Amino acid sequence: MADSLQGGSVPPGQQAGWRSWLLLSPLLVWLGLFVLLPTLLLVLTSFSRRDDMGRVIYSFTLDNYLRCFDATWLSIFGSSILYALVATVICVLVGYPAAYTIGRASPKNRRILLTLVMVPFWTSFLIRTYAWISILSQEGLANSLLLSAHMIPTPIGMMYTPFAIVLGLVYNYLPFMILPIYTSVEKLDNSLIEAAYDLGAGPLRAFSSVIIPLTRPGIAAGALLVFVPAIAMYAITTLMGGGSNPTIGEVIQNQFTRARNQPFGAALGVLLMLLFLVTFLLLGRKKSSPHAA
Amino acid sequence: MKTIRHLILALLPWALVACGSKPASTTGNSDVPGSQEEKKLNLYCWSEYIPQSVIDDFSKETGIKVSVENYSSNEEMVTKLLAGGGKYDLIQPSEYTVEALIRENQLLPINPAALSNLANISSEFRNMPYDAGNKFSTPYMAGFVGICVNTDKVKTPVKGFTDVFTPNHKGRIVVLDDAREITSWAFATEKLGINDVTPENLEKVKPILKKWLPLVKVYDSDSPKTSLKNGDVDLGVIWSGEAALLYRDDKKFAFVLPSEGSHLFVDNLAIPKMAAHPQNAHLFINYILRPEVSRKISEAFPYYNPNSAARALLTNEEIANPASYPPAQDINRMQTFRDLGKQAAAIDELITQIKAGGK
Amino acid sequence: MIGALSLGRKSLFRLPDGPTLVKWFCGSWTSLVFAFLYLPIFLLVLFSFNESKSGFQWEGFTLQWYEALFQNRILLRAFTNSLLIGTLSTLLATGLGTLGAWMLYRFRFPIHRMMEAFIFVPMIMPEILMGVSLLVLFVNLSLPLSYLTVIIAHVTFTFPFVLVGMQARLQGMDPSLEEAAMDLGATPRQAFFKVILPYLTPAIASGALLAFSLSLDDYIVTVFVTGAESQTLPLKVYGMVRVGLNPQLNALSALGIVLTILLVFASERLKQSNSGESI
Repeated sequence: MADSLQGGSVPPGQQAGWRSWLLLSPLLVWLGLFVLLPTLLLVLTSFSRRDDMGRVIYSFTLDNYLRCFDATWLSIFGSSILYALVATVICVLVGYPAAYTIGRASPKNRRILLTLVMVPFWTSFLIRTYAWISILSQEGLANSLLLSAHMIPTPIGMMYTPFAIVLGLVYNYLPFMILPIYTSVEKLDNSLIEAAYDLGAGPLRAFSSVIIPLTRPGIAAGALLVFVPAIAMYAITTLMGGGSNPTIGEVIQNQFTRARNQPFGAALGVLLMLLFLVTFLLLGRKKSSPHAA
Repeated sequence: MKTIRHLILALLPWALVACGSKPASTTGNSDVPGSQEEKKLNLYCWSEYIPQSVIDDFSKETGIKVSVENYSSNEEMVTKLLAGGGKYDLIQPSEYTVEALIRENQLLPINPAALSNLANISSEFRNMPYDAGNKFSTPYMAGFVGICVNTDKVKTPVKGFTDVFTPNHKGRIVVLDDAREITSWAFATEKLGINDVTPENLEKVKPILKKWLPLVKVYDSDSPKTSLKNGDVDLGVIWSGEAALLYRDDKKFAFVLPSEGSHLFVDNLAIPKMAAHPQNAHLFINYILRPEVSRKISEAFPYYNPNSAARALLTNEEIANPASYPPAQDINRMQTFRDLGKQAAAIDELITQIKAGGK
Repeated sequence: MIGALSLGRKSLFRLPDGPTLVKWFCGSWTSLVFAFLYLPIFLLVLFSFNESKSGFQWEGFTLQWYEALFQNRILLRAFTNSLLIGTLSTLLATGLGTLGAWMLYRFRFPIHRMMEAFIFVPMIMPEILMGVSLLVLFVNLSLPLSYLTVIIAHVTFTFPFVLVGMQARLQGMDPSLEEAAMDLGATPRQAFFKVILPYLTPAIASGALLAFSLSLDDYIVTVFVTGAESQTLPLKVYGMVRVGLNPQLNALSALGIVLTILLVFASERLKQSNSGESI
């Protein structure tokens, strides 16, 4: 490579030469063609109007964005974010110990366990969700077991509640949390942990001072991979929640179907994306270098 | 090495073009009857609404290869159709969508001469308000929305919407997840025409909806029978076909048309303007109109069959299903939805607002 | 290594030492997590043998759904489509994600920040927006809707997941790793393939697993960009909800799961016998 002197030291973050640009080009082209262009289209749509048929009339108006700030939509934004947040936190708490165990297992077991984590998600999510419905519903498995164990007098309504929504979200996003944390755990240096114990730290101390900080990139990645999609998720929240708590994903979906108002749906979507981008940029500024642990 | 990898990554998609892409279908319509069209049919229909056996039998008989694509809502179909991505020969729009498509000149007129079985459609379905003289559409299946009650759990008589949405049923109700439907029920209780969707009328029914919606536990248009079957709800306002399926399996599920009034929905077969195989499309429609074929469809989907010849072939039990076939005078009294255009968004917003607990 | 109850005056139950405690706790927690993950799976496999069609009441053991499944051309076709599309898009997405993450890490590009932002876009864009806008794009590019468009769409929304996971792994990497390799005489190319790539393997594996799952299960984006022959399993499944989920689907899922688990164990056996050691 023209960039490096043969055998010399090559620090990361080096200036890109033409060969590097060539290697970056697949990503560049893909982003440009299949991400940038559709996004531009979306933004254009969000400033447009539509006709009776629901077709987009490309024009310029701020009406759609102004409408986004009505109380109705803001409160729906809020509740969607809240659900996603709760689901993410639970995923971290539930997923971390599992990811830790898998990451610290023997190489053979690691591979098996990791694949076993994903296998349930190679069934259709609809079938999985309907299985949960059959477990949680009034005449379903959970209630039958609890009743026969005399733990409850009458069946509990577990379906179509916030509990069901969170459960559905956690169930579907848990692997998204486990996998990234696993990759961080997997490269943990054993000697560091041993050293911590040797120095007299108890397990709690070892975790809080050594292990968790070292696996932070994995936790951050996992949180991102769960929180972000969870906000716009609508299928699970509708199926498990019954639809009485509309989410922003459902609202946007409606704009493209029943309400025939694509521009408004696009505006809502663009705002949602801007929200994330701003957060991401702010967080990015805090990180001084790519190698801050 | 890296450059080779880059090349592979760059070329792979285009290699897939060769094996994956469909050759562009010939555009335009062949006016010459019969043999000019290739033996293909691109069917774009509701998921699980045309039994696969029906499609297979048609293929076997005519030698026409049918490729099926599904959608789960009228608007999804319209979006894809108008975007121009798919070249479809036959679509299955509901009544208000037919009206909108006719207005936009998106449909090919149906040639009655090619449909020898057209006479099988019963008279009340011959001249629909959304398509005068059925020039562009042929009714496929009709149905309505009504009240389904689990009589094991609900002992008090339920005759209409006001009986459903009472405080003692709080949290035990399922309704369709369809803003337009829900609003039309409120309109019915206020004796307003279901197509008179004006801002004033919406304001009028707002208090009713605000009273009703907090009592609802589940909104489900895809499979409302699920929550009824599971015992998570005790009654609901659902599609007649869903209620008919419930009744078929367990007679405890009673069905009643709301006393305040109900409306009829009609799903139709129609041919898009850009269809490449309109002759084959006509053949398919004619096939569906056959009594024994239509009867098969009724077996799988016990909605209201507009094909009177098919109805004559139904078993007594099927005809006796109150959710499938209510008394004839009720059908004649029913209105159908008209296309609302932009007002659809206003309804959707109203319902979403109330669901979210707004003012 | 439990401290045994020491017989004697001050009999103390000595707590197991830190690492053991952690192992136990994490081990049992993980078992619970797997139980949670597999509970619905176990149920749906069970119901694939259920006589009853609706799957809520047990009505007897039967293999009829498996028989029906093998005669259901449409479902099987959709299943193979899903597998094909899933595999191809996973390969592409993993390649794209790995290469992209490495280049962004290794070199400073002036548009770095902007690229990072755009990489996030497919993750945060609501699926229906992506589906519709890709549809419009494809139509304007005169690309017929078929396998190609579906694969492009799937790669687009899965590769960011691969990339982000890769970046997390790279963040914790010792920056002198590559340097050390080259000090030992390796060219940058050799360093990448012999040192960096092996280091990245867990991230590649987990990224590929994620991408494959995302692709297999996608509904909304696929709906808008698919043609008639490239219809995937989720599209067919979604449609079946209206008439009640057919136990054939349960049978299909059960077979898929069993097959995968068998494959995993088989490949482990193969690895062991090849390397001649038990790891």
